[in-house]
Amino acid sequence: MNKNFKCSFFEFSEEDVIDAMKSMDGFIDITTSTFREIYELAYQHAIKRMLGTMPVKNIMSKPVYCVDSDFTIFKTAEFLAEHNISGAPVTDKEGKVIGVVSEKDFLRKMGFDAEPSFMGVISRCLNTSGCMVSGLKTITLQDILSSPAVIVTQEISVSEVSSVFMEKSINRLPVCDKNGFPLGIVTRSDLINAICLQG
Amino acid sequence: MNYFKKMSGQAQSPPGVSKNEIFWSWFGSFLGIAAVGLISSYFLESKGISLVIGSFGATAVLVYGAVRSPLAQPRNVFGGHVLSALTGVFFQQLFGTVPWLAAAMAVSCAIAVMHMTKTLHPPGGATALIAVIGGDSVKNLGYFYAAVPVGLGAFVLLLIAVLVNNIPKTRRYPEFWV
Repeated sequence: MNKNFKCSFFEFSEEDVIDAMKSMDGFIDITTSTFREIYELAYQHAIKRMLGTMPVKNIMSKPVYCVDSDFTIFKTAEFLAEHNISGAPVTDKEGKVIGVVSEKDFLRKMGFDAEPSFMGVISRCLNTSGCMVSGLKTITLQDILSSPAVIVTQEISVSEVSSVFMEKSINRLPVCDKNGFPLGIVTRSDLINAICLQG
Repeated sequence: MNYFKKMSGQAQSPPGVSKNEIFWSWFGSFLGIAAVGLISSYFLESKGISLVIGSFGATAVLVYGAVRSPLAQPRNVFGGHVLSALTGVFFQQLFGTVPWLAAAMAVSCAIAVMHMTKTLHPPGGATALIAVIGGDSVKNLGYFYAAVPVGLGAFVLLLIAVLVNNIPKTRRYPEFWV
């Protein structure tokens, strides 16, 4: 974590510290700047400790919306739009997670293999007659999903989850039980909320 | 941080204390020093020993005037004084013929010893120094200096501090014992 990371860090003024010292009665032989240093370091320490020990199940989103692997591309897009999410785990007939599908996978199939982005689609659409969306009509969900799925169990710590995000450069991780059935999903925003202690 | 910029200071000075606080600081220190002085004149001075040494004035500032301070806790007060006294006597005996060296070694090593033992107590530096510059009356005590006046005096000051500092609602003492 960045040393200067502040997040929703509670900022108090010099006067707040002075007032607090006054209200405590007795001579306090630390300066306001020493107090601030102790406070900030203790705060960072607390966050590190909490993220290192807090299991991901405390911050994951539930319920998790999954798409069936036999969904059509159209139905998948509709499903994601309906739930206002940008990606979802893909489950097989038993309900086990076999992969993840997200906006990026759609964009990649639309001719942006290197750096799929929404703005890339816009610029191409404006440049050429007709959009590449039509190209999606001929493919199936199986063609675009990312598999095998990177999944985690609900016991792993929040800090471990963030390193998985970094290593695999992904945005969401299905949280599954031992048999691979989905229990929830953790996204980058869940992580940010947790760091700000709002999870 | 830049070397010179650091000299400009960063923080505001801490607030002053209430009248109530001033009273209890005054009262505690009066009783503490009075007790040390009375014991000294009634029991010890006939035997050629004084219980009153300068560093106790400094201890009184801490144990009656800054009772929350880590420097004012029993471990520091008793440990700091006794260890500094031993350190001071050691260097007085080793380098007594070179007073400036004995004094410098006594104080600097006393600080180091207090740090190492987590007993830092500023008046301990004075206690170590007095072992060197205190004249024949102190010199003749040898290591007994660490017990009387230093150990006994520190004990009396602590006893009064525990008794007095817990009377007002706004104070408690100590924060920790050892």
